[in-house]
Amino acid sequence: MKKVRVGAGSSGWPDYKDSAWDVAEHGDVDYIAFDHLAELTMAILQAQRARDPRRGYIPDVIPLMRGLLPIWKKKDKHFKMVSNGGGANPVRCAEEVFKIVKDLNLGGMKIGIVTGDEIPLSRIDELRAQGYKFKSLDTGEEDIDRIRDKLLCAYVYIGADKIIEALEGGADLVLTGRASDNSLYVGPFMHALGWKYEDAYWDRIGAGVIVGHLLECSSWSAGTCSNLWEEAEYPEGNPGFPIAEMDETGECVITKTATSGGLIRELTLKEHLVYEVHDPHNYIMPDGIADITTIKLEQIGKDRVRISKLGDAPRGKKRPDTLKLCLAYNDGYISEEMMVISGPKVLKMAERITEFIHRRLKHLNLKPREVLIQLIGFNSLQGPTVPVPDPEHEPPELGFRVAFKCDTEAEARECRVECGHLAWAAAGVGTAFTNPPGIRPVYALWPTLIPRDAVPLQLEIKEVK
Amino acid sequence: MKKVRLRDICWYRSGDKGDISNIGLMAKNEKIYQIIKRQVTPEKVKAHFKDWVKGEVIIYPMDNLLALEIVMYQALGGGATKTLRIDQTGKAMGNALAWMEVEVPDDFVVPK
Repeated sequence: MKKVRVGAGSSGWPDYKDSAWDVAEHGDVDYIAFDHLAELTMAILQAQRARDPRRGYIPDVIPLMRGLLPIWKKKDKHFKMVSNGGGANPVRCAEEVFKIVKDLNLGGMKIGIVTGDEIPLSRIDELRAQGYKFKSLDTGEEDIDRIRDKLLCAYVYIGADKIIEALEGGADLVLTGRASDNSLYVGPFMHALGWKYEDAYWDRIGAGVIVGHLLECSSWSAGTCSNLWEEAEYPEGNPGFPIAEMDETGECVITKTATSGGLIRELTLKEHLVYEVHDPHNYIMPDGIADITTIKLEQIGKDRVRISKLGDAPRGKKRPDTLKLCLAYNDGYISEEMMVISGPKVLKMAERITEFIHRRLKHLNLKPREVLIQLIGFNSLQGPTVPVPDPEHEPPELGFRVAFKCDTEAEARECRVECGHLAWAAAGVGTAFTNPPGIRPVYALWPTLIPRDAVPLQLEIKEVK
Repeated sequence: MKKVRLRDICWYRSGDKGDISNIGLMAKNEKIYQIIKRQVTPEKVKAHFKDWVKGEVIIYPMDNLLALEIVMYQALGGGATKTLRIDQTGKAMGNALAWMEVEVPDDFVVPK
């Protein structure tokens, strides 16, 4: 029976680089995959590239590879790497990695560079002229007329097709732009285990999608962000990243190295199986649609959990004919201010400041689109669900945070200074102000769908000898 | 019958996708799963979150994991990139839900 060991190497920007090196050094892996991109990251990277064409990839890729590639050499170049850290500039990212290969005198390396995920805005206009509509998955709005002039960039969550092709072509490292987090893992499973995008394999690809989901958030399946936080120990301060031992039927064991901290338990995996999946019967990814209700978890040893098929229901269905397209657009500016207020009667004091801010906005004729006031130490994270304490049990002090959203940066600044900062003196005795974070532009997202065949992808394999 | 809070009988983890908040609510045992499956309804969840959840609430039971997948629309103040909230990605929405009470028999023992 064919088996493959695939380890997690990153789940964001930044993540624990030393944990990825630990997987490479002690994980006995055949593949390591690195996800660096969150929903908003591509818009940020593209803005960086617009200012400087040498930028636009995830800068952390460079120090990460500087530590990883010597381990790769020591392991006889056995494991392959897949990364979406190319971001908005995979070509430049590859050039920088080649510099490391030469600097460290590592010998030859092949990098597969996948492009085509970014859709130029001129192409969006072309597609609209051909009759395509970009209906919002969030709001149901039929097309992008309202935001066309504010568009910044558009990119597609692509699947594993070109990752598999690159691995078949002998790439040691595959660098992509907005490959879906999940596909960075499904690609190696499919390549190593011989799964194809065909009817005989959707069940197994479904299993791959589920396991990919468990790996793509790195330490999150291994005890971080966990309900078991009191039990998760980090003796060396290094969280563990999960490793999947997947067989060709789609059965799998999730484990981690003994040299890392954290936990692999049924619960730590379950926590991640319920995380951000939405309809569990239809977890839609570019490579297949998984049904998360078709598997069972079983602890079979310390830091080892088996994932197997529960009944006869297929774990996956055919991949969708459309891909997710995300359009990013400018949508105003956010400013905020925070002060810390002292008791007694902090909640009453917070009410008075709230009233003051609203009156002052009116007095100065300032009209932010939104104002939000949150009390840190009371309701800033849990909002209206928090029970109000009786006066005897009020917190001794509270962070008072006010945030404004405005159309222009100037308005956002004025709201912050006039009605945010200057509210502190009116707050009452014992109030301290803090340095607020900078005013930030809002990059809003418009998620929609695009037919697969409207997104041609390219692969180039480059080699340094 | 008596009341217990979800935080005493369940685990939870929450996240986001745009302006949609999702909470995975995991029962600590099978008996608790049957209780939450019956009593944690979309109407109750929406009422619990008051003006923080403006859209529809859909709940998918996952019998294999003794868990409910709770999906709440227009629930994050516009979504991670637009919201004014500190918790831009709704990581604490599970903790917020866990204040909710459900009814249990008088002889029910809260698991440790």
